Amino acid sequence: MNRVVLTGLGVVSSIGTGAGDFTASLRSGRSGASPITAFDTEGFVHRNGCEVRGFVAGDWIRTVDAGQLGRASRFSVAAARMAVDDAGLSEIDLRGKHGLISVGTTDGEAYELDTLAVAELAGTTLAGPEAHRTLPARLATEIARELGLSDVETETIGTACAAGNYAIGDGFDAVRLGEADFALCGGADAICRKTFAGFYRLGTIAPEVCQPFDADRQGILTGEGAGILILEPLDAALARGARIYAEVLGYGLNCDARHPVAPDRDSVARCIELALADAGIRPGEVDLISAHGTGTKLNDVTEAQAIRQVYGAEPPPAISLKSMLGHAMGAASAIATAACALAITHGFIPPTINHVRTDPECGIDCVPNRSVEAELDIVQNTGLAFGGNNAVVILGKYRADR
Amino acid sequence: MTTSVTERTEKIKKVVCYILELEPDDVTLDSSFVEDHGVDSMGAIDLLAALEREFGIVIEPGQLPRMTTLAQVEAVMTEAAGW
Repeated sequence: MNRVVLTGLGVVSSIGTGAGDFTASLRSGRSGASPITAFDTEGFVHRNGCEVRGFVAGDWIRTVDAGQLGRASRFSVAAARMAVDDAGLSEIDLRGKHGLISVGTTDGEAYELDTLAVAELAGTTLAGPEAHRTLPARLATEIARELGLSDVETETIGTACAAGNYAIGDGFDAVRLGEADFALCGGADAICRKTFAGFYRLGTIAPEVCQPFDADRQGILTGEGAGILILEPLDAALARGARIYAEVLGYGLNCDARHPVAPDRDSVARCIELALADAGIRPGEVDLISAHGTGTKLNDVTEAQAIRQVYGAEPPPAISLKSMLGHAMGAASAIATAACALAITHGFIPPTINHVRTDPECGIDCVPNRSVEAELDIVQNTGLAFGGNNAVVILGKYRADR
Repeated sequence: MTTSVTERTEKIKKVVCYILELEPDDVTLDSSFVEDHGVDSMGAIDLLAALEREFGIVIEPGQLPRMTTLAQVEAVMTEAAGW
């Protein structure tokens, strides 16, 4: 089997677009939270979210007419273009190869569906191009169109809030098995009224900020963005002298379907074990966990228990990027995988911000408020989703002797 | 403040039975939605939303676990609305 390395990444997020800005924000512990402007929040008492601001799709998207894309597809296509540029590749390089394009999502183009619902309530109809923006398959197919790739399989994977990691796992499999010469994989989602209202009704929207693992945490903030990675066989990357952010060592996924929304401790622990086994890594070798860490009462305790179940009484630091990014749904674990690769490359641990007092029930070191310099060899990135859909990706610093 | 207590209870019961798909004859002030009527958490969220709309009030989602009987629903609503 091929060893698989991550050689390019594209990030669109509430704390920065592109690897450079995103890295700086991770290091400084920047918050993406602000009052939502993407839709009318009248009637909701709490109105904060983590929106992508100042993003101009046309700055990145060159071939496709960005105006014809839905909000989530604009993020995914821009992030894919960024990843290809970042890898020092061009679409000409990719056109001669078999590829996989896999994009995970929770809501697809639900932002566009909101406009459909508004039109229906108003008794009007949508014009064709507006209706066409609602198709979730376009999160992946538009990347192929933008880059002019025809020898690719495209898929949009809808495994909710773990979807980004599912897509990365699939890309990893395709490249390690030699079925694809490259994979563009990750996740994308757009903030929308449907999701905000749904989580609001569940009582899980935090009033101001997201405080994972804090004793006084009050829930999530909805977020958005995209993270798209380019994965290549190690030999190909070395042959072209590519910069290697990290090696993908393995992944695990499982689905317990025990409860519609509550995570299951044993099942989450099992998923971590599956990923470690796939990567050939012992728990003691892991330097950092990027947790799912939503900031809800239930997730954080259950996840911390699952971590201790696998790692024992003294687990490695477990941070939550959602403290900065909010919950970018299907994009969350993909953006987080990008963050883990950047942390390995640049030698630091991003902090869990908004942290006052760690919940004794969680009892983990979440690296509160300030990033720390650290040599990272192995990092675990966790994505958990409704329905008990769990996906864990293991990254390692690239070492020839591994 | 013109609505009498019993009228209001009847109106709440009507919403409860409509949303949770229960027979009015089966629902008493203290029968448990979950244990006696098999209601799940999604039904409870539907109920909270419907009561807010019908009565023009806001109920904190954190009150949901208390809203397990008709009497409890009315108690939570009375606090929320300041009746």
